[in-house]
Amino acid sequence: MAPALGKRKRITREELEQPSRASSPSSASQNSDGEDMQARFRRAFEAKFAPLDIEPVRTKSQKVEEPEEEPEEDSDWSGISASGDEDETSNGVQVFDYTAAHQPHTKGSKSEYRAFMSAKPPSLAATTTAKPKAAPKPTKEDDTVEAAHMKNDLELQKLLRESTLLSSNAPTYSTRTGSTRESNDARHKLTDLHVQSLGAKQSIFTQKSMPMSHRKGISAKTKMRDDRRRAEAKENGITLEKEQKVRKSAGKRDRGVGAPSVGKFKGGTLTLSKKDLRGLTSSAGDKDKGKKGRRR
Amino acid sequence: MADETVQPLLQFEGHRHLTTRLLLSTLTGRPIRISKIRPSSTRPGLTPYETNFIRLLDSVTNGAQIQFSMTGTTLVYRPGLITGSAEGLGAMGGVIRHEIPRECSRRGASWWLIPLALLAPFAKDKLNVVLHGEGCITSSTPAGDVSVDSVRTAILPLYKSFGIERNIELRVLKRSCVPSQGKSAGGEVQLVFGHQVRLPKTLHVMNKGRVKKIRGVAYAVGVSGSNNARMIETARGILNKFVPDTYIFSDVSRAPLISGLGSKSDPNGKTKGAVGFGLSLVAESSTDCIYSADVASPPQGGVTPEDLGKQCAYQLLEKISAGGCVEITSTTTVLLLMAMGSEDVGRVCLGRDVLGTEEVVQLGRDVKVFTGAAWGFRSKGTADAEGEIVVSVVGKGVGNVGRKVA
Repeated sequence: MAPALGKRKRITREELEQPSRASSPSSASQNSDGEDMQARFRRAFEAKFAPLDIEPVRTKSQKVEEPEEEPEEDSDWSGISASGDEDETSNGVQVFDYTAAHQPHTKGSKSEYRAFMSAKPPSLAATTTAKPKAAPKPTKEDDTVEAAHMKNDLELQKLLRESTLLSSNAPTYSTRTGSTRESNDARHKLTDLHVQSLGAKQSIFTQKSMPMSHRKGISAKTKMRDDRRRAEAKENGITLEKEQKVRKSAGKRDRGVGAPSVGKFKGGTLTLSKKDLRGLTSSAGDKDKGKKGRRR
Repeated sequence: MADETVQPLLQFEGHRHLTTRLLLSTLTGRPIRISKIRPSSTRPGLTPYETNFIRLLDSVTNGAQIQFSMTGTTLVYRPGLITGSAEGLGAMGGVIRHEIPRECSRRGASWWLIPLALLAPFAKDKLNVVLHGEGCITSSTPAGDVSVDSVRTAILPLYKSFGIERNIELRVLKRSCVPSQGKSAGGEVQLVFGHQVRLPKTLHVMNKGRVKKIRGVAYAVGVSGSNNARMIETARGILNKFVPDTYIFSDVSRAPLISGLGSKSDPNGKTKGAVGFGLSLVAESSTDCIYSADVASPPQGGVTPEDLGKQCAYQLLEKISAGGCVEITSTTTVLLLMAMGSEDVGRVCLGRDVLGTEEVVQLGRDVKVFTGAAWGFRSKGTADAEGEIVVSVVGKGVGNVGRKVA
């Protein structure tokens, strides 16, 4: 009797090779005939290729199952009868439809739906892969290594920044802590770099006071350079950044104590310009009156 | 400006390829004269949808001159500057609302959208156009126009390879299908094209790669959503064998309501627009080449969703088998953008059958007339690519006139 409940017994190779006892109503002679045929096929095969060595496969599960059979006989439930089983198998072919199982899920993920069905044209390089797994949490060892890396990185960046000083001033890096005059200069330059990288607007080495003619010359030269650059760019059709106009300070001029608050006092006469006059005569309301056109 | 008036008119004949000729004229700035537009037809001259397209062209440009002859069989077009949706020139709040009336319902919205998208990168300002009205059909049509979904998923992504990728959107505000006789569609589509360039990049596409994924949109307008599911299932059944990465998304929407078109008893009531369903499929290769297929239910009905799904899947397979890096619906876009590129030779690999179609051949001839540069053809050398031809296109180098002064 077949086991009534539990797993279906796995069919071993031996059983397969034997003609099934239940399903075929064949007689013994036919059986032997079948065996004969198989043997003949086998011989023919082995004559052509290497001989097969078919070892009967013994699975563990079968051994485990066997002791289970005994208690089941004691139980009152007889289970599904073997005869029924045999009927089923003798009936013919059992059909399993796997088409539904083979069809992968028909709906894409929600994120993909959003990516594809939004108003934007779907990007060509959009990936369908799932989110990358979160990186494993750093252990304590990793932390220290990470910190060391960070420190080294900072050092390296600093070194790179200051490398210009190294090449021109001193052959070694020890100038950072030296105390000679040259190394002092280097130290100041270092500080200057540092301060600038932290957001200072001007270098401490820019000269504040100098003869006016010098300053004019310097500014004229920079302006000329910039103009030439812009002209060349225009000729070549390159778009440059917008020119930044330096605004003159809009604040009020500091007049001396007791001096008139409007106009220009020179040579004992107070001269009022048209602008000054307008400022004096007009009230606050009609500021726009004099203007010809309105700017958009 | 002065020499523009003395520029000789380029002469063309016939009503075919009207949009590409108008496009080329606008992009290159050369005036054209098209004569013999359906001279022997019972309804001679331009059709309503053609005049409607010219109207749209007029609203996105500034200073264009359009003259018709008495019978409408001759058209003189002097292009203006492409301004996009600049304020004060027909645009309200930065949006141009363009109505497509009912008599234009022989063509799908993509017939307007594809040329419009071609103009947009060369506009002075960003382009924002809403197409609406009783003749606006978002689905694919029997006249051969693709659906709006295909425009979005198969044609607009191609602009990326020309360096045009930012701020491009195509919104389907209301879906509609092809209306039957005497009915109206009532769809609404918005095209936002916010990336204007000086010159498109030169394109070199020689390797078509292998198809790696297939996506699609199934839409049902005013009919049951189960039609979508049925179309999707059949299409997937065919395509899954070739590409397992196949997903088709479903979009079910109501029939659009059209106001002011009510029956006699209720003149101010709303009527429903055209209903139907359809499928748009897009296959994408490993080298970013795109193939698309489009099928929609006919206005008279009587087609099962299964048939449509099958037809669409086979159509996609056929497009892929035609070969080349660009399929037939997007060839005009790609070749025109290449011809408008910088003065450099771009190359693209096309299938023999794609290149041999009437549109592409005529486009090549027209481009030669407008720019003076003909295309070069040679067959692809490798053995596996039989039937593929490399087309080399020299850019005009004019590009965006509005962007010249930065």
